[in-house]
Amino acid sequence: MASVLFSRPSDDVTLNYLYYYSKELVSVSNSLGHKTINKEKEEANKKIILSVIEKQKPEFIMFNGHGSSEVICGHKQEVIVSAKENPGVLKNAIIYSLSCSSASVLGPVSIENGATSFIGYKFDFALGKDTESEASPKHDKIAKMFLEPSNILVDSLLKGKNVKRSIENAKKKMAENIDYLHTTSNFPEAVYYAPFLFSNYMGLVAHGNQEASIN
Amino acid sequence: MKEKKENIDELKKEIVIERLRQAPPTVKIAFGSLNEFMNRDELIEQVEKETDIGKRIVKIQLEYLKSFKRGMLQGE
Repeated sequence: MASVLFSRPSDDVTLNYLYYYSKELVSVSNSLGHKTINKEKEEANKKIILSVIEKQKPEFIMFNGHGSSEVICGHKQEVIVSAKENPGVLKNAIIYSLSCSSASVLGPVSIENGATSFIGYKFDFALGKDTESEASPKHDKIAKMFLEPSNILVDSLLKGKNVKRSIENAKKKMAENIDYLHTTSNFPEAVYYAPFLFSNYMGLVAHGNQEASIN
Repeated sequence: MKEKKENIDELKKEIVIERLRQAPPTVKIAFGSLNEFMNRDELIEQVEKETDIGKRIVKIQLEYLKSFKRGMLQGE
């Protein structure tokens, strides 16, 4: 079984959505018998996350957080990994970065510095929400359209699918959800979310070894 | 030539703004470096001010319309 690390800050409304949705993935990882290390809220900081990576050498790391083309952040937007400062910390790991744009620069740089595979978004990650469900993000029907594909990606990886197949599974669900948003009459605002989910679809990429999987 | 390019960009911007104006005010999107969700009018404001987020919104909307027309997501 693999060693798996989750970094799950939750210090603003957007991150809270990612936090709630990824909670299920922590449970899946545990149930599959992976050595699961969950660092959430204030524990998702640079000192703790880098210490876990150094000592436990996780084969798979999921980062939730804000970011940019060159960095992934943790709690209170503290930079955890930077293309300029410490891309080598991701060595020998499969990374999934659920943050804005990190696949455009940090992704390729991390591969040059030894990461096995870097999955992320080359554009800003978009997230829609139903205004009536803010108190309960887990039951937000709009957010589900955006975050369910991301969960499918990680679920596939945790169950041993390779990077390429996991992305295909996520993109298939994204395409289904885009089609649903574009055509449903269940709620009138749905069609206006579709272009933003399409941006996630176009932006989801992997660098490095596409055949890599976790055991 | 420069003037022509600006006219084209302005047209694209107007198309996107008009499309966004048709959305209900309840639409909420978190996007880019901003930590909070933006409503319809805030999305339009980003486009009008041509911020980085606004430019990206224009690109997204136009790429979406083109790709949907091509049936790309339906595998056609």
